[in-house]
Amino acid sequence: MHRPSPGKAAIRLAPVLGLLVLWEIAASTGIWPRQVLVPLEQVGATLFALGASGELERHLSASLYRLACGFLAGSLVGVSTGVAMALSRNVHRLLWPTFTCIRQVPTIAFIPLLILFFDVEDSFKIVIVSVASFFPSALATHDAVRDIPASHREVARLYRMPLAPFLARVILPATVPQVLTGLRLGLTRGWLSLVAAELLAADSGLGQMMEMGRQLFQIDVVLCGVIVAGLIGFLLDASMVRLERHLSRWRTAT
Amino acid sequence: MTDPRHLREPAGTTGPSRTGAVRIAGLSKRYAMSGKSMTVLDDINLSIRPGEFVSIVGPSGCGKSTLLRLIVGLDTDYDGEIRLDDTRVAGTGLERGLVFQDHRLFPWMTVAQNVEVALLNQKLPKERRERLIAEHLALVGLSDFGEAYPHQLSGGMAQRAAIARALVNEPRVLALDEPLGALDALTRVKVQAELQRIWMEAGTTMIMVTHDVDEALFLGDRVVVMSPRPGRIARVVDVDLPHPRDRASPLLHRLKDEILGELTREPREEDGTLVSFPARSSHSRSPS
Amino acid sequence: MSLRLRSVSLALLFPALVLGWWEWESRQGAGHAYAFAPLEQVARSFVEMLLDGRLLLHAGASLQRALTALLIGGSIGIATGIAMGLWRPFDRTAGPIVTTMRQVPILGWLPLVALWFGNGDGAKLLLVSLSAFYPTVLNTQKGMQAVEGKLAEVGRLYGFTRLQSLRLIAWPSALPLIFTGISQALAFAWIATIGVELLFSATAGLGTEMMAAQVAARTDVVLVCVACVGVMGFALNQLFALLRARLLRWQPAPGN
Repeated sequence: MHRPSPGKAAIRLAPVLGLLVLWEIAASTGIWPRQVLVPLEQVGATLFALGASGELERHLSASLYRLACGFLAGSLVGVSTGVAMALSRNVHRLLWPTFTCIRQVPTIAFIPLLILFFDVEDSFKIVIVSVASFFPSALATHDAVRDIPASHREVARLYRMPLAPFLARVILPATVPQVLTGLRLGLTRGWLSLVAAELLAADSGLGQMMEMGRQLFQIDVVLCGVIVAGLIGFLLDASMVRLERHLSRWRTAT
Repeated sequence: MTDPRHLREPAGTTGPSRTGAVRIAGLSKRYAMSGKSMTVLDDINLSIRPGEFVSIVGPSGCGKSTLLRLIVGLDTDYDGEIRLDDTRVAGTGLERGLVFQDHRLFPWMTVAQNVEVALLNQKLPKERRERLIAEHLALVGLSDFGEAYPHQLSGGMAQRAAIARALVNEPRVLALDEPLGALDALTRVKVQAELQRIWMEAGTTMIMVTHDVDEALFLGDRVVVMSPRPGRIARVVDVDLPHPRDRASPLLHRLKDEILGELTREPREEDGTLVSFPARSSHSRSPS
Repeated sequence: MSLRLRSVSLALLFPALVLGWWEWESRQGAGHAYAFAPLEQVARSFVEMLLDGRLLLHAGASLQRALTALLIGGSIGIATGIAMGLWRPFDRTAGPIVTTMRQVPILGWLPLVALWFGNGDGAKLLLVSLSAFYPTVLNTQKGMQAVEGKLAEVGRLYGFTRLQSLRLIAWPSALPLIFTGISQALAFAWIATIGVELLFSATAGLGTEMMAAQVAARTDVVLVCVACVGVMGFALNQLFALLRARLLRWQPAPGN
C-alpha cells in the first residue's frame, strides 16, 4: 500500500487552506465583530498562550486521564462480555436480549442518569466513557468470535485444549482485527461522549474549557478547544489504525 | 412454431437475400502498454453470410472477445474494415446486438422492463413495443417470468432474458461473448439447445465466442479457430450438417478432434522470426 | 426444559435480577432512594407523563427536530454527493473540506455555533442537520462511484443519452448506498437531537426533560425518558429498514 506523497497531500488540502484564507480576509475587514469572527492569528496567539501558561496542558491531561481510565475499563468489560456471549450459549441467552435493548439508547442519553448516580466529578465522566466504549467492543468481539469457523473450535476440543491457551492461541489471533476495529470505534465514541459530558458539567477538561470560553464570549478559546479536540480525535483514530495494521501483519491481503 | 422435422439447411444457401452480412477485412488492433506496443488482432479476414451462425474458438489471449467488441462498436480504435451489409460500422448501433457472459441485466428492473429498455431509443408506438416484448419473452421461454427481478432468476434464465433483450431490436447481427460460460454443465447443454432453437426461429446472423469446442460445433455453421499472441485466424472449419443438430453425429466428433489438435498444437516462436502462422481461409472439406 | 422456554426464561432472568437489585437498593434509606427511584414510582411517573401529555409533547418535539434535520441535512448531503460524483472539480474541492470538518465531533461545533447563532431552535437544527449531512454525503459519493462500468456498457449498446444513462443506470446503482447513508443519518440525527437538547436549554424535547428531571433529582422521570429515547430510536430504525426493503425490493435478500 503506497503512501501519498506530501505534495499530493498538500494539493488535496488546498480547498481547506482556501477556506482559511477566506476566513482571514473576512475577519480582517472588520465587518463582523471580533468576538464573532476572530482573526486566525488571534486564535494562534491564544493557542500559544494557553500552551505556555500550562492551562491547555492541565485541561488536556484531565480529559485524557478520564478517557484512558474509562476506555480501559469499558473495553476490558466489553471484550470479556463479548467473548462470553459468543462462546457460551447460556450466557448468550442470558445477556444478549438485554444487551440489544440497552444498545438502542444512545450513550449520551445516559448522561443525566449517571449524573444522578455519580455526581459531577471525575467518576461520572469515566463511567460515561466506559459505557461508550463498552458496546462497540462487546459487539465487535462477539461478532468476531462468532465468525471463527467452527472447525477451529472443533480442533481445539479434539485436543482438549484448556481454556487459557485456547483463548490465547486460537481465539485471540483470529479475532484481533475485528476486535481492534470495535475498540477503535469505542475510543472515538468515548472521546466524543467525554467532550459532551465536560461541556455539560465539569470543572476541568477540554470540554469545560470550551464551555467557559463560550460563556465568556471568548471565541478564540472556543476555537482552540475545537481544534485541539479535533486533533486529538484524529490522532487517536490514526494511532489505532496503525496499531490495527501492525497487529494484522499476518493476514494475507484479502 | 418450427416443425422439428423441417430441418434447416445451412445458412445462405436458399431463400431471398437477407440482411446481416458481415465482412471483416484486414482488421488489426494494437495497443500500447507501458511503452510497448501489443498486437491483439492481426489481419483478420472473415466473411459471414446473412443468417449464418459462426462460432469462434481459441485459447485466452487470441483476441476473440476484442473482435466481438469491435464488430459491435464498443471499441472503435482499429485498422482495417468492418462492414455490415456493405456499410462500415461506426460506434454502437441497434442493428448490432451483444450478449455478455455475465448477463448484465439491470438488477432494479424486472425481466420485462429489461427487455423494454432496449427499445428505449426506438420510437415505437406502445402497442408495437408491448407486442415485441411479449414475442421475445415467448421466444426465449420466459413468458411467465416477465415480472420477476433478476435476482430471482437462475443463471440459465437470466442469460435467456439477456438474449431476449438483445434480440428485441431485431438486430441484423447478434454477437455473443461466451454467453454460456457462467452456467453449470447441465444448464449449459440445455441452454445450447434453446439457443439453437431461438436462432432457427429468429434467423438472425449470430457470431458466438466460446471456449467449448463441443458447443461451437453444435451451434455453428462454421467454426473459426484462432491462435493467440497475436490473435489470428488459424483455420476455418465448415460444419456441413443440417439443423437441429444431433450431438451424436460422427462428423461432429471428427471435427472436434481436428480442432482440438489445432488448439493444442505447440505455438510457433514469434519473437524475431518472420514465420507467420498460415491463415488458411479455405474450408476443410470432410471426406464424404 | 424445552429450548425455547429456556431461551425466554434466561432472557428475562437478567433484567429480573437487575430490577430486583434496583428495588433492594431503593429501600436502603433516603440517600439511596435519591438515585434508585422505587420501581413503582417509575411506573407511576410513566403513566402520569403519558396521561397529561408531557411524554407526547417532548417525544414529539424531539421527533420533529430529528426528522426536520434529517430532511435538511440529508437532502443537502445527497445533492452534494451527487454533485461530487458527477463533477470532478467539485469533488476535489468539497471532498477535503468535508473530510476535515468531519474530524471535529458535532458537539465540538456546539460552542461555536452557540456563539455565532445563539441558543435558539435554529442553532439546534443546524447542528443536528450537520450530523445528518456527513453520512449522506459520504455514502452518496461512494454510491456514485460504484456505478458499474459493465452496466454502463449495456447503455452504450442501446444508445442511451447521458440523461438516460444517469436516470436508468447511475441513479438506481447508487440508490442502495444512498439508502445506507440515510439510515445512518437517521440514527445520527436522533442521537444528535438528544445531545443538543441536553446541552442547550431547549423549549421542549426528551433531552430537555431529562436535564430538568436530573436537576430536580427525579430519577423516575429520567428513566422514563431514557426508555423513550431507546424505544423511539429503535422504532425509527426498524421503520426505515421496512421502507428500504419495500423501495429496493429488487435487491437480493442479504446473505444470498
